[in-house]
Formats: sequence, C-alpha cells, structure tokens
Amino acid sequence: MNVGESFRTGFVEIWSHKTRSFLSFSSIAFGVAAILYTFANVNNMYERRTKAFDIAGPGRMDIEKKEAPGSAAVTGLSKGLTSADAAAIRAALPWLYMVSPVLRVGEEIRDGDFVDRTSIEGVTPQWRRRGWVFTMRGRFFDEYDLETAARVCVLQEPGGWAGKKPFWARWWKDDGFESHVKRSDLLGRTLRIGDGLYTVIGVLKNPPRDKDPRWFLRGGSSVLVPLTTAQRYLAKRSETDALDGVDTIVVDTGAVETIPRARRRIEALLSGRHRGVADYEVNDFREMVQNMLENMRKYAVAVLAVGIVAILAGGVGIMNVTLATIFSRIREIGVRRALGATRADIMIQFLTEAMLLGVLGGVAGISLGMLGIKNLSDDGAEQIAALLWWHFPATLAISAGTALLFALYPAYQASRLDPVEALRYE
Amino acid sequence: MVGVDNLVKVYGDAGGYRALNGISFHIPKGQFAAIMGPSGCGKSTLLNILGLMDQPTSGTYSLDGVSVGSLSDAARTAVRRDKLGFVFQAFNLLPRMTALQNVCLPMGYAGLSRVARRERAFHLLKKVGLEGKEQRTPLELSGGERQRVGIARSLANSPSLLLADEPTGNLDSKTAVEIMDLFKGLHAEGMTMLLVTHDPSLAAQADRILRIKDGNVIADETPRAAA
Repeated sequence: MNVGESFRTGFVEIWSHKTRSFLSFSSIAFGVAAILYTFANVNNMYERRTKAFDIAGPGRMDIEKKEAPGSAAVTGLSKGLTSADAAAIRAALPWLYMVSPVLRVGEEIRDGDFVDRTSIEGVTPQWRRRGWVFTMRGRFFDEYDLETAARVCVLQEPGGWAGKKPFWARWWKDDGFESHVKRSDLLGRTLRIGDGLYTVIGVLKNPPRDKDPRWFLRGGSSVLVPLTTAQRYLAKRSETDALDGVDTIVVDTGAVETIPRARRRIEALLSGRHRGVADYEVNDFREMVQNMLENMRKYAVAVLAVGIVAILAGGVGIMNVTLATIFSRIREIGVRRALGATRADIMIQFLTEAMLLGVLGGVAGISLGMLGIKNLSDDGAEQIAALLWWHFPATLAISAGTALLFALYPAYQASRLDPVEALRYE
Repeated sequence: MVGVDNLVKVYGDAGGYRALNGISFHIPKGQFAAIMGPSGCGKSTLLNILGLMDQPTSGTYSLDGVSVGSLSDAARTAVRRDKLGFVFQAFNLLPRMTALQNVCLPMGYAGLSRVARRERAFHLLKKVGLEGKEQRTPLELSGGERQRVGIARSLANSPSLLLADEPTGNLDSKTAVEIMDLFKGLHAEGMTMLLVTHDPSLAAQADRILRIKDGNVIADETPRAAA
C-alpha cells in the first residue's frame, strides 16, 4: 500500500473521529506553541545581545585612574593618567579601533532661569566610535575644537518611550537638566557652564528607552565638551594632577581576540610612562561577556525544557489516541491483514495517521504560538521578526517526529495482532 | 490445486485441544467444494489454515503446487494477497470507505496503480451487479449488496482459490439464492471455490461435499445435483 493511500485513509480516520483527534492534536499544538515561543524568545534575546555587544564594542578595555598606593614621594614620580598616555597608546598601537580619553567633571549649568548641577564629560572625536545610537542634530566636535579648546558643547536629549510608558516607569525620573533639554530646543543657544559661556553645537537624541540596545555599559553625562576644554576650564585639579589629566581611557581593539595582545602592550607602555606607579588599572570585559553568554544559554535551555515537556505531554496524548484508534479498529486490522496487508503495511498506516495528527497539531501550534507571541508579550512584533525561517520547519519536524515516536509502540502492537483473533473481534 | 495432507492443529501445548486431527483431502482446479459440519468440528480452524491466516501444528498444505503451510508471516501474507480471495459471513467491509474503495483495497496492497485499481474495481462491481452504486458506503447498501461488494473485493487480485465462510449466513433466503447464483457463475468461469456452510441446500449446489467432524473428514460425497 503506497504512502498516498495511507495519507488518504489517515485523513478519513482523523476526520471521522473529530473529538478524539482534536484532543491529541491540541496537546501537540500547545507543545509546539511553547517551542516556537522559545525559539522566538531565545533568538530575539540573542539578536539584542549581539547588537548590544556590537554597539558597546567587543574589544573594549577601560583604563581607569586610581589612587596609587604608597607615599607621595613614590606616587609623585607619575603624572597620573593623561591625554599624553592616550596619544602614546595611539602612536604605539595605531591599529586600535578606538582610543578615547574621558574626563568627568561636575559643574553648575545655567540657561536663563534654569539652574542645575550636572556632570559633564570632556571627550575627543574618538568618543563617537562606540555606543553611537543617537540621531544627531547640529554637529559633533572635530579636531579643531579639540586643538583650540573651543567653548562648545553637545547635549544628550532623553529618548522617552517608543510605546506606552510602562507602569514601572512612573518612578523613573529624568535628570533635571535632561528634562530641560527635552523641553526646550537648545541647539545654537549659549549656556553658562561654571564661569564660561558655551555654544550648543549639537544635540544627540537618545533612542527610546524601551528600544535602547545599550542595556550593557549604559550611562554617561548629558553634557559633552571637548576634552581640552574640560581640562583647561572645568577640571578642579588637586596639586598632583597634571594639566592634561583624564579619568578614563577607553580602548577598543575591534575584536575580542586581540584584547590580550593589546592589553599586554598597553600595560608595558603605561608602566614605563608612569615609572612603575600603579595609579591606573586596566579592565576588559571578556569575563563579563562570557558570563552573559553563559546566562543566556542557561535561560534558553530552561525555556526549551519547558517546551520539550509540553511536547512530550502532547506525545503521550498522541500515543493514547493511537492506542484508542487501534483498539476500536482491531477488526479492521484483521480484515486488512486477510486482504493482504503485511505487518509493515499496518504499521505504516497507523504511523502515517499519527504523523498527520502531529503535523496538523504543529500547524495549529504555530498559529497558536504566533498569536501568543503577538498578544502576550509587549514586544511581540519584534519577537516574531526574530523567528528565522527554519524555525517553522524545525517546529513541524519536532511535532511530527514526536507523534511518530510515540505512535511507534502502539503501531507495532497493532502490526503484531493475530489476524485470526482480530477478525473474530467484536 | 489445493492439497492438505495429515494436517494437525493443536491449540495450547502438546496434549491441548486438537482442532484438526490429521485431516487430508485434495481439491482439483476448478472444483466447487463445500465443507459441512457441526460447530466446533474444526471448520473455522481449517479455513484459517487454508486462508494462511494461521499455521498448522503439523502436516502439509500445498497451493498451486507450492507448499505454503510453514512459510513466514510476510510470505504467507503475499500468497494470501495474490492467490486467495475471502468472502466473509459478516461481509467485513470497511464502513468508512465506498464500495469502490473497498474493492480497491487488496489491489492497493498488491501495488497496483491508482488508475488500474479503479478500472478493475469498476469492472468487478459491474460484474457482481452493482453498477452505479460504486460510490455508496456499506451503510447505504442492503445486505445482499454488501456481500456482492465483498465478493467483488475477493476477486480483486484474481485469486486462484476463493474461500467463502458462510457467505449467506447473514442474508434472507431470497438474497442467499442470488449470492449462490453469483458463486455458481464464478464457478462456471473456472474459479476454484471452497464454501463453508451449515446449510445442506447450499452445499447441495457444490460439486462435492466434505463432511467434517472432530477435526477429520468423515464423508466425501458428490451431491445428486452435480452427479
């Protein structure tokens, strides 16, 4: 008996036992929905994280200023972390993707009646190279601004929310100055920062908070000025600090693999320049990235386990239905055997029926899963977009395979029935 | 054509119930034989073995000159499919299939193409007088019509032996006569047939009557009608 024939018989059988078929088919459908949901979730998460790492920079290393241990006689040998260190790193390792020195200061900011204290970052044009998720109006600093220590600034505007503001965001407070930037168009205006007047040459609009991929390494100041400007006019220096002192030099090698090499060279270079004084520390994010990937994997496995349990339950349902089907058709099996059906024919017939149920359940489950993803989760559209084309055939294969696997035993039992007994069965 | 020699069937262990007790007979090609006997005489067991649904405990069974009694299950199934036709008392049609599909069923197992199957099924249904009723399901047919479908189905793979187990047992006498006429028609075309029955008037229409009791042939007669 050919397969097409089995399919037709299978359809007729499934159709004529609607309730029974529906029950087993729903159990598979729920399992499939769960698995599809897992696929969507995991992939969405994976994509978001990949994006986040790309934006933050995979080869990132932070060189931070720190208080050196030991007496002033020893620590005085070093000027501390400076722009010159950054320049030396850049000169020694020209292949680095980014060497971005940053100086942070706190200062009073004034715009007409508005007064607030805020933190300000002095940066170089290199700052743009990572974490750039903004839409910019105006322009960013250039080398000329840096050389002349121009009295200019770039402001960050908060992005708000893409969709409805989530309930927990009620307790989310924008920084005073950020709200001011959002309320008033400051591009081209002049602000007072500390004692000086600064022209706003650019406004960076952040992405909406719920779409912001920078969940990793977020933060920073809402006011940026050229590094030299910050060093010259805004830094409050203690006596040991150099005139070109910085707080952090962010280095990005461009790839995770090159971190160890770059790190060794940078540490050797700085150790020489600082005359052995440990007034800085170098951190890279490899371990953090590793942990994050590991957590992600664990989460995926946990959700997948739930899906598998659901589909196994569905499989038991299929097994039950197949057994019931066989029990109610013992006589038919006898007739078919008498008419020349081999054991294999009988087995194929019941397996085909179960597989059909599995595929139908799979199709229903995919619809159910899509519906669930769309309506149950707040970023449904994004999650559906995160489904790859092969998730659908894979899900179908899982459901059909489960059905097949669980029907194997009942179908085998059916094929072993004694034809004489089966024919006599009432 | 059909030869059984010293056939024994014991149910259970050795020393269990002997349903067939060294039975032997031979049916030549084209003969219409009837098997008669009281219930429990071993008729059904004999029919199951002749139909290759069951295996004898000992003895030989040859069909078309080939010993088939002790073949494997798969080989017996193949012989059953290609050389034997069954007509059952309870018709045993598959209720969810049309008459046509029921007749097509054995040809499907034999591997005939869909078109060839349908063509032959139409032909056979016409032959048993069911032209125009091909698409009806068994529920939409009368008892006699159902048995006609059963006979058409038994002929599907052009068997060399037709086994009929009380084929008129579930029918009224008028319909039974029609079915018997159908069998006699097949016999006239040269079909070898074995009819198991209780009914002496049916058996009397055969070429030969084998009376069985306690698992053995007690009489082998030629009815007057055939003589």
